[in-house]
Amino acid sequence: MDWSYYNAIFKHNSSDKKMKKIFLILPLFLLTTMCLFFLLFILLNKDPNDPPSALLNKDMPIFSSTNLYNDDENLISNKLKGKYTLVNFFASWCTPCRAEHHLFFEIKKLQPQLYILGFSHKDDPSDSKKYLEEEGNPYSFVGLDQDGKIAFEFGVFGLPETFIINDKGKIIFKHTGPLTKEIIDNEISKLF
Amino acid sequence: MISLIGFFSLCLSTIFCIIVLIPYSILKINIKYLLFIFRSSTFLVCISFVSLIFAYVTSDFSNFNVFQNSHSDKPLIYKITGSWGNHEGSILLWVCMISIYGFLYSIFSKSLNNFKITVLKIQSALFLIFAFFIIFTSNPFLVNSVLVEEGLGLNPILQDPALAIHPPMLYLGYVGFSLVFSLAIASLLKKNSHQIWIIEIRKWSMISWGFLTAGIALGSYWAYYELGWGGWWFWDPVENISLMPWIAGLALVHSLLMIRGEQAIEKWIVFLAILCFSLCILGTFLVRSGILTSVHSFASDASRGLFILLIFFVTTGFGFLVFLIKSPSKKNDLHLLLINKTSALIINNILMIIAVLTILLGTIYPIIVEVLTNTRVSVGGPYFNSTVLPILLPGFLLMSIAPALSWQTNKIKKFKLYVMCFLILSAVVLLQSYLTDFNPWGFIGLILGLWIIFASILSIVLRYKFSITIKYIKTINSFIAHIGVGVMIIGITVSSIYQKEFNFNITVGEEVIIDNEILKFKEIKLIDEKNYQSLRAVFSLEKKDTILSYIEAGKNYYPVSKTITTEAGIYHDWFKDVYITLGSENNNVWFIRVYLNPLVSFIWIGVIIMLFSSIIAVIKK
Repeated sequence: MDWSYYNAIFKHNSSDKKMKKIFLILPLFLLTTMCLFFLLFILLNKDPNDPPSALLNKDMPIFSSTNLYNDDENLISNKLKGKYTLVNFFASWCTPCRAEHHLFFEIKKLQPQLYILGFSHKDDPSDSKKYLEEEGNPYSFVGLDQDGKIAFEFGVFGLPETFIINDKGKIIFKHTGPLTKEIIDNEISKLF
Repeated sequence: MISLIGFFSLCLSTIFCIIVLIPYSILKINIKYLLFIFRSSTFLVCISFVSLIFAYVTSDFSNFNVFQNSHSDKPLIYKITGSWGNHEGSILLWVCMISIYGFLYSIFSKSLNNFKITVLKIQSALFLIFAFFIIFTSNPFLVNSVLVEEGLGLNPILQDPALAIHPPMLYLGYVGFSLVFSLAIASLLKKNSHQIWIIEIRKWSMISWGFLTAGIALGSYWAYYELGWGGWWFWDPVENISLMPWIAGLALVHSLLMIRGEQAIEKWIVFLAILCFSLCILGTFLVRSGILTSVHSFASDASRGLFILLIFFVTTGFGFLVFLIKSPSKKNDLHLLLINKTSALIINNILMIIAVLTILLGTIYPIIVEVLTNTRVSVGGPYFNSTVLPILLPGFLLMSIAPALSWQTNKIKKFKLYVMCFLILSAVVLLQSYLTDFNPWGFIGLILGLWIIFASILSIVLRYKFSITIKYIKTINSFIAHIGVGVMIIGITVSSIYQKEFNFNITVGEEVIIDNEILKFKEIKLIDEKNYQSLRAVFSLEKKDTILSYIEAGKNYYPVSKTITTEAGIYHDWFKDVYITLGSENNNVWFIRVYLNPLVSFIWIGVIIMLFSSIIAVIKK
């Protein structure tokens, strides 16, 4: 069988040129449709992976910590229920912590009822005290986390790191790295 | 400091590329200098990448990227590979390769200067797009804002030799198609009368396809022994998107053969070249934007996703737009007969494109559904197995005789002999599978695989005089490649259909019987390695009181990232693999799962044969 007969039919078809154009436009059309779906998918923020932190919207971990200034005073996580708490991990050896430190005073001014809890992470107590003398102490309570156990429970990634826990004990905010004014204005202030 | 050098040289090489892109009418530079500028840009971007590697090797944690992905306890080799084991580094590697391909092209190309410059300009434009992507959204040279003394470690599952070289191989393949793309677009823009570009495109697409093959094979080999699921291909989205350019590239490589006959289907070749690179970028987009869930969990970020989407849209859109406006007008009368080589190649191409579209649909279907109906679906193995395989079957049947077909006539030499052989072979296989347990897919796969090998060897013996020269190997090269496919088909069929799975609860000292062999649980070993702890269960595989081999299956625990990886214990034999994964322990009773995977080695042998043949195809006569 010879196909040249069919070839001839195709060639002398008058709508041949139009068909060709459609074939050439088809890839562009498909591409645009596909990209549109991708765009919608991204814009609608349908992230199939986990939320940013595994702990977000979960109950805060249970911990107990000693006061930096008073060895006899203990803080247990259960006592934090019923009020909004900000948890901040810091250390005297952490330079970026110094950068964000003054912002806690601002947060305190904005949200006077907020309980600001600081954890001195893997740090010598005397160094931490000196650090708070230099930079000021915005914390309602400074807990010791010398062995990093509490940070581990919170899944701390690197210093500084900040969490906000609501009155029901759920973690509603998490930020790794130094806080900025923008984060406070755009994200934190909306939580209350 | 080193990061600064890296970032600076990246920026400088980007500026050089911008200079290359300035039209000749504005900036009159001699071609010699233009080439020099392009090549220095390559040199600079390589410096940039080397300085990233250097930062990894010296564990410079003031670099944020190093901090996030490395750890000072890691072995040196994984420090080096860590530099491309993350998003930022891998995109830098990608950019580096775009430039290197352009560099190699500028050296080896025999095209006219005019055409060469056009190709290099398109290559520079691609370089520029991705360089901007790095600089604005994924800079690997960012300074760490968190002060640390130790890094966070690389994903331990990636600390593996096969996987260390898997991304560069894959990227060499993906990025190679960028040069193919540039050549295709340049051929549309500069209608040069001579056909050197087709020869060049053939060479470069063959090289890229070879690397892509190696990359995919390494990835699936890794999945086979590291993931511990007993299989080597899971139709995972990330696997699918590497398979699509592979198949499209295969179609391209085949359609480029047609110029060996009387006619080149220029239009089709250009279309395929654009399609190949588009699929490569699509792959990068889908992986890097993190919009697909898969075993490859990369950090995702919406702005990055949008940026790559833009790159994908602009590049592909540009390609197809040029294709639409400047499509080659040359009338090609195809010499189509019922079964000559041209029609066989066209059928092959159609089948491959359908296969690509089928895989594409299955891969992005969950995205479309989620956008439209807000429900999450997942498309997995069953869909692909029942759609892609039937599409490929006629192609497999055709490929057994295709290289033996003639360009000009309808006749096949010694047609009756082929038919006789096919019938005898089918009868033998039918009898064999009837006597053992009959499985239609197993039967079809075995016949196809054996027939492809058999027919290819028959053709070689009948048609060519044997001699040990490169010329001889080059003439029978297409048969060799097809034998590789045949071997692979047999491996795939037998290993997936006749796989056996056993589950045991076993204590130390006990033994179990697996088919004809005895598996003895010898001991449990706990060893502290440099950056992980390993737990190994040692088994001995015995047959009639002679020990065949010891198999160690176990787990590794990486304290830095607090993850556990499974390390399957595999006993390789030419005809079967004994594959053991260690499960959980309860009162000294261990749960183990044993797979008997027959003929898995054939898959890798097939791939190696295909790779060998692609190397032969690139070598000059």
